[in-house]
Amino acid sequence: MTIPFFGKSIFVPSDIIAAWILSIVLGAILFIYVMNKRKWPLIWEYMRTTNHRKIGTMYILFGVIFFLRAGTDALLIRLQLAQPHAAFWVFQQEKYNELFTTHGTMMIFFVAMPLLIGLMNVAVPLQIGARDLAFPFLNAVSFWLFLAGAILFNMSFFFNSAPNAGWTGYAPLSTDTFTPSVGNDYFVFSLQVSGLGTIFTAINMIVTIVRHRAPGMRLTRMPLFSWATLITSFLILIAFSVLSMGLYLLMFDRMFGTGFFSGDTGNPVYWQHLFWIFGHPEVYILALPAFGIFSDIISTFSKKRIFGYPAMVLSIILIGFLGFMVWAHHMFTVGLGPMANTFFAITTMLIAVPTGIKVFNWLFTMRGGVVKITTPMLFALGFIPTFVMGGVTGVMLSVAAANFQYHDTHFVVAHFHYTIIGSTILGIFAGIYFWYPKVTGKVLDEKLGKWHFWLFIIGFHLTFLPMHVTGLQGMPRRVYTYQWGDDLFALNLTSTIGAFLMGSSMLFVGWNLYKTHKHGKKVGNDPWDGRTLEWTVQSPSQENTFEPMPIVKEMDPFWYAKVSGEKLRTTNNTRPAPISVNTILPFCIAFSLSIMSLGMIYTWYLLAVLGGASAFLLFIVRSLTDERKAYDLKEGHSNE
Amino acid sequence: MKNILIRIRLLVFACLLTGCDISVLDPQSKTADNQAFLISFSFALMMIVLIIVFLLMTRFVWKYRETEHNKNTIPKDIKGNKKLELTWTILPILLLTVLAVPTIAVTYNQSATTPKATTQDDAIHIDVTAQQFFWTFTYGNGKESTNELVIPENKSIVFHLKSTDVIHSFWIPSLGGKTDVLPEKELVYKIDNPKKGTYDGKCAEFCGVNHTKMRFTARVVSEETYQKWLTK
Amino acid sequence: MNEQAALFKDKQLGFLIYLFVESVMFATLFATYIIFTPAPSSPRPIDVFEAKSVILSSVFLLSSSGTLIFAEKGLNVRESKQNLTGLGITLLLGLIFLGLEIHEFYKYVQEGNGLTVNVFMSAFYVLVGLHAAHVTFGSGWMILLLIQYKTMKQSYQLYTEKQRIFQYYWHFVDVIWVFIIILVYLPYLL
Ligand code: HEA
Ligand code: HEA
Ligand code: CUA
Ligand SMILES: [Cu+2]
Repeated sequence: MTIPFFGKSIFVPSDIIAAWILSIVLGAILFIYVMNKRKWPLIWEYMRTTNHRKIGTMYILFGVIFFLRAGTDALLIRLQLAQPHAAFWVFQQEKYNELFTTHGTMMIFFVAMPLLIGLMNVAVPLQIGARDLAFPFLNAVSFWLFLAGAILFNMSFFFNSAPNAGWTGYAPLSTDTFTPSVGNDYFVFSLQVSGLGTIFTAINMIVTIVRHRAPGMRLTRMPLFSWATLITSFLILIAFSVLSMGLYLLMFDRMFGTGFFSGDTGNPVYWQHLFWIFGHPEVYILALPAFGIFSDIISTFSKKRIFGYPAMVLSIILIGFLGFMVWAHHMFTVGLGPMANTFFAITTMLIAVPTGIKVFNWLFTMRGGVVKITTPMLFALGFIPTFVMGGVTGVMLSVAAANFQYHDTHFVVAHFHYTIIGSTILGIFAGIYFWYPKVTGKVLDEKLGKWHFWLFIIGFHLTFLPMHVTGLQGMPRRVYTYQWGDDLFALNLTSTIGAFLMGSSMLFVGWNLYKTHKHGKKVGNDPWDGRTLEWTVQSPSQENTFEPMPIVKEMDPFWYAKVSGEKLRTTNNTRPAPISVNTILPFCIAFSLSIMSLGMIYTWYLLAVLGGASAFLLFIVRSLTDERKAYDLKEGHSNE
Repeated sequence: MKNILIRIRLLVFACLLTGCDISVLDPQSKTADNQAFLISFSFALMMIVLIIVFLLMTRFVWKYRETEHNKNTIPKDIKGNKKLELTWTILPILLLTVLAVPTIAVTYNQSATTPKATTQDDAIHIDVTAQQFFWTFTYGNGKESTNELVIPENKSIVFHLKSTDVIHSFWIPSLGGKTDVLPEKELVYKIDNPKKGTYDGKCAEFCGVNHTKMRFTARVVSEETYQKWLTK
Repeated sequence: MNEQAALFKDKQLGFLIYLFVESVMFATLFATYIIFTPAPSSPRPIDVFEAKSVILSSVFLLSSSGTLIFAEKGLNVRESKQNLTGLGITLLLGLIFLGLEIHEFYKYVQEGNGLTVNVFMSAFYVLVGLHAAHVTFGSGWMILLLIQYKTMKQSYQLYTEKQRIFQYYWHFVDVIWVFIIILVYLPYLL
């Protein structure tokens, strides 16, 4: 469709018009709802909050919204691939390229990451007996940076310039020579902004876990989700720093005429190294927290402590460590030579060992226990076979010479959906069902939860199992169609049907939320017969948790206290809690940075300078209005 | 559920074994044959792992599920078991060693290299130039063809791969795995002893708008036909 | 006091981790520089670098770490004059360093060796430029500290913490400079 615009007429594809209309309608509905229900104070409160539970809730809320968006992309992908020579709506050629790029990028950075970080925010402080994250203000900054990045990324689509070089942004395709539109600039800046937020979160988590544990909560007694969070945070520190610099160099290539990654002056393969030094640890950043969630859930619903706790901790550390030595298994076909190929093949295979230790420990946690199949547990039980299937195809992929065949085919697509959805997405669902009472005070409906699970898991296998075969059949990834002669029709159609089953399962989530909100009853502090400290505090957790502070004497302290019929001992003599405040500054900082990014993307440098300057100004304001000032005064440390 | 999964998986496995026209598993050259062997071999090893995990899981979930009877019992506190844990550390290592040996052997043999490293004389050398979005093949006598590759059967064919713009990837599923085609850096990939036939070739690295359409046909013909074709 | 110390320890640990992040970032850029230098086309590093300007700017930046330690001593014993002069001189040295850097960059560009002439120059500018940006940021930070010290609208303890954190930053930036000398300039000046 062409639209007149200041005397010019510009072409706007119909999907974008549809998206505009849809979001305006949804926006209007939302606005009217907020008006009628007088929710402005609530929104204002959340915009200024620094409380870990509230920030965690916002992470989860937006993560789910972006999941629907990226999932809609997936459905469009599947519709376009449903049959040979399909021409579904506009999604061919460049549009298809934009589709899988946004799908992949959003799912990884704006769905999986924030949902995991949201759960960490909600659960980790409560699990270890901290009253909040170490730096509540910084935590708010992290959140708003994530949201700013995500919104920036989404904007690109609404202005018909979505990124189109794949979530991996391989150079030289991603340089301005071959993709001159602003799409990939959006990619660079939105990842840069949200990545910064992720790094801050990692710092925050590490300091919280290292310094804010309850008395007696030794590292050797810490719940495994907290352990996973700790190790994941270390991975983030390194991985996201490298990504940040990769994007920094790509920005110079795209905007300032340097040639780091171009074919003739620089080295395109160097981008791949930088990207995968980030990218491979990233997949464990996604997997490890999920492992942690499952460890806690499986142990809770087997009524047994986790089997082989030291080995579980050790294997998290080992996976994290090995995760930095395998990146080139994504690059077996770029000609690094036989030596490098074998080296990376072997290191990659080694990761199966610690992962296997975890799998068997989970299984043996159930052995001899009393396995209660609640919705979170159901997700955990679905995770084990699903993830192991994804894991073993990973090992098959690591066989370098065989990888020459698998690489860049739908076999790889199958592998990583099995691992990511199998661990991360199932883990997130499990975690949301599990900790929902800590956020809202109500337990989600079990029956609808089970519907969600079964539809999702059946749809999942239906979607991705056939892709192993289509891949071996010769279907490359990132192609928008195939031919009748390729013999791919039946399997692809199956995939498409499966994807819609998965989509329909999400409707049950919506129904469940609605139903629980309307009819659900408040539950007590401990609806699941939990084992760890988070189940000792109120549901939803209040702002001043752990007063008085429990004293921990062993692993799973709450459980053993319950078993022996005693109360947890407590103390009032604790270290000072982090200082929470209400402030709009974090929101403003993130807003300034997105203005700056927009200025850069469209090379309106004046705007960029304005945004940057305002961010600096806000830093200064922050420094001058430090919450410690008021705190110090209150505590009687006047200006001696 | 678990049982169904196993069954589905077995079905796929059976399908893979009988070939059911899956191009990668129906190799038409020695190179692809080695790769197909690795695929089947690793798949078989992985099936062992899968079956063990599925069996254990089915058993534990079934045997220890919550019933009216055990609802209120508190299970015995078990911290771990050194012997068991050692078992599932060592067995996987053994399994992986078994997998690593053929992996290393074939990988050493087949990895793409830089031009200097290849010194086989009786091989046929073909220059492959990838460009958005088509393939050009240049033969020893200077003959060029576009999107159609013709090679003689039962020879060693050495491809000299080069791109003029972005990264592409050269792939003929039936004849052997892929190798990336990089700008400004020549890579060399060898395919041994192809069998007669006509096969699909594809660009396997996302390279822009018409990546999907960047396909070619590879015809493997007899020596005489090849020579005739060359001089035509 | 204990309370404040605990809160300060949090901040300290957090900031040190942040510096670790920065060092990974700089390490990446050092790797980039090493990979791309020398570039296939001219200019080569020897054609560009000049020992004189490197030595000069190093003298200023590295000595600023010393003056900052001097300031800290003053801070500890509440000698406000010592602290102020220390900080002031550090700021001055930092600004002179910046001036020299800008001059150096300007000269290179004048000689036709701008950001885009080849990958070696590009890698040089993105690395050394990022370092210079850090010095700029640090200078602004110092000005802010000086103002806060002068007005002192907070507890002395809190101010001390702020200056401590700044010191970590400044010393870190200096250490990066040492690495720049060793990895960027020295191999091509010797
Ligand atoms: C959560 C995410 C996640 C996880 C956990 C993994 C885990 C693994 N991955 Fe995967 N991978 C991805 C996400 C993930 N991956 C993504 C997103 C890509 C593609 C990116 C792109 O190109 O767009 C990818 C791509 C990818 C490739 C490159 C494919 C290609 O492009 O050619 C390879 C190759 O080696 C690989 C290997 C592995 C291995 C060996 C593991 C191992 O960690 C798996 C270990 C687990 C098990 C093995 C199962 C349990 C173990 C036992 C029960 C013990 C006994 C087992 C044995 C002895 C084998 N992955
Ligand atoms: C967290 C990671 C994640 C997740 C969860 C998913 C989930 C899904 N993915 Fe994706 N995928 C990736 C990460 C992920 N993916 C990545 C990294 C790539 C590579 C990209 C690249 O090549 O660059 C990829 C690529 C990819 C491809 C390959 C494209 C190609 O190479 O040509 C396909 C094809 O089928 C696919 C399908 C799906 C499907 C069907 C789902 C389903 O599970 C989705 C299920 C969810 C829903 C269906 C949402 C429900 C929505 C509704 C019910 C609608 C409601 C609507 C409104 C309210 C508006 N994905
Ligand atoms: Cu060429 Cu894809
Ligand atoms: Cu990987």
